[in-house]
Amino acid sequence: MDLMEYKAKEYFDLYRIAGPRGFVVNSLSDLDGLEVEYPCMVKAQVQIGGRGKAGGIKPAKNKTELEAACKAILGMDIKGHLVKRLLVTRQVEVASEWYLAIALDRVKKCPVVIFSSVGGVDIEETAKTDPDKIIRVNIDPIVGIRAYVATYLVSKSGIDASYTTQLADMLDKLYTLFREGDCLLCEINPLAVTPAGELQALDAKVTVDDAALYRHPELIELRDEMESHPLILEARKFRFLFIPCDPEGEVAVISNGSGMIMSCIDVLSKNGMKTVAALDLGGGATGDRVKEAIRICLSEPKTKALFINIFGGITRCDEIAAGVKGFIDEYGSDKLVVIRFEGTNKEKGIAVLESIGKANVVFADGLYEGVDAIKERRATL
Amino acid sequence: MSILVDQNTRLIVQGITGREGSFHTEQMLEYGTKVVAGVTPGKGGQEVHGVPVFNTVREAVEATGANASIIFVPAKFTAQSAYEAMDADLPLVMTIAEHVPVQDMMGVYHTSLKKRCRVIGPNSFGIISPGKAKAGFMAHRIFTPGNVGIMSRSATNCYETVFMLSREGIGQSTCVGNGGDAIPGSVFADILPLMNKDDETKAIIIIGEIGGGEEETAAVYIKDNVKKPVVALIAGKNAPRGRSMGHAGAIIGADGSGSAEKKEEVLREAGVHIAESTVDIVEIIKKLGV
Repeated sequence: MDLMEYKAKEYFDLYRIAGPRGFVVNSLSDLDGLEVEYPCMVKAQVQIGGRGKAGGIKPAKNKTELEAACKAILGMDIKGHLVKRLLVTRQVEVASEWYLAIALDRVKKCPVVIFSSVGGVDIEETAKTDPDKIIRVNIDPIVGIRAYVATYLVSKSGIDASYTTQLADMLDKLYTLFREGDCLLCEINPLAVTPAGELQALDAKVTVDDAALYRHPELIELRDEMESHPLILEARKFRFLFIPCDPEGEVAVISNGSGMIMSCIDVLSKNGMKTVAALDLGGGATGDRVKEAIRICLSEPKTKALFINIFGGITRCDEIAAGVKGFIDEYGSDKLVVIRFEGTNKEKGIAVLESIGKANVVFADGLYEGVDAIKERRATL
Repeated sequence: MSILVDQNTRLIVQGITGREGSFHTEQMLEYGTKVVAGVTPGKGGQEVHGVPVFNTVREAVEATGANASIIFVPAKFTAQSAYEAMDADLPLVMTIAEHVPVQDMMGVYHTSLKKRCRVIGPNSFGIISPGKAKAGFMAHRIFTPGNVGIMSRSATNCYETVFMLSREGIGQSTCVGNGGDAIPGSVFADILPLMNKDDETKAIIIIGEIGGGEEETAAVYIKDNVKKPVVALIAGKNAPRGRSMGHAGAIIGADGSGSAEKKEEVLREAGVHIAESTVDIVEIIKKLGV
């Protein structure tokens, strides 16, 4: 779960990571009575990068400019993300911009500290053109951050040794947040150095491990609040995972496992068909739940055909078929539904499908056969 | 020979009195696995399907001489159960639950290095050496004994492959579920040396997917060490960027890192046969005549 900047900054405040305090603004009326320090910055809160270049960040020297900036940014569309919330912070004078992050190193299976004395919006470019400017230190998660790490970062990047104590302090706090907050990423970019030589976190990017949300219940609510896709939310009610895929897709896929969903999308794609969305049933879905899964996938307006691909172990084929029958009986859809299953109670399942007796409900005996069945009917969809 | 799990495995089931633990203990016993003990705190002295239950792993090991454990407890308790098994000096610990927090698994993994314990999973179906023993929840009827070793990050893709292999009369030596999480206890490169040495394994199948670097490290090992034929499938070629595909580990970064193309490229360079689908894996294995 990617936190928005304002939420990540709340965490920074909690862990006393230095940076300008901010106010959240949801509507112009929120500005009333706000004690803003000028000059200030107005920043769009969206879960997408590049908001600055899109006009989502504006400075303001006084109340009039602040109101104008808020008015301009609220409701703005940034790469398909509607701006519903702003963060207003004090403007900080910047002498130089550094980069500091703690991320997950999946290969070494441990946290990695990433530091650069050339931070800011071009950090990704620096990583490509001047990789030596990006310093990485792996951390043993059982030990934590050793005292020398900050000294190493300072020495290696050639910045003034007088910054060591401040950087060590910030690193410690960031690592504590990373660990206690169940984070996969804590990033400060830019980490500003003021003319007075103080380090200030100007932006905050925090990603929290979805598997650990039970330890952070306040985030579970926020996750649903931030999710704008109605079908993802609808699927969550039934403990399904709904994955929007290609906006230009035409086929929806239902399967009982992440690996199988990916394989299915790959085979469709190989045959020139794009997948608009996928739904993971998980294990052991009953007919009633399968019916809901089909309803959710077909309520995506771009879905022209549905491919149900199941390998039945815990999930029984006759339950899948019962779900299809239940859906057709209740909603009577004419959209193409191709079903392929293998495993537990396959014959029973086929019998149930045959009893539906509709031309748009097709059983296919194999993954390739299922994909072919959709391909053959593609022109008529 | 097969690897990791066989007739000599003396297995503990942690969480044996739970619904899943109890059901799969029965299934494992039916398959011939020597389940020698179960562990559930506070339930010591009971029996589940004739298997004695202990309060702690240490007591279970002392009483039964167990040499492996499988953890059937919910994700939030998985790390503590794994620490308990490692503290009892068990050399093999398998974890099943999905959604174990990354911070928990980092601790478990780095402890396992110090304790020289092999951890499999989490989010894994376990390990099966067909005809000998299984430790896990896989539907064992589809497996047949034979000479193909399989490692997989996905349960469903593995089942599908095994089902088709068995239908074609091609059996399996051992199938290992590495699991679909971001921090697995063991990756392909950890299991490959065992499969490479195993006489019974004549060919190796790797079922990988997008995200992480497990296929890349496998390629490095294969290039320098493996003479047996290796077939690999990388699922998720057409998955959208920056979106987890269900498995926590199956995600292509916004910058394109962890993509299938890169993985296929390095595996191909290491001499691995790349399959386009589960159906294709079976076709390639048939052509290789294993």
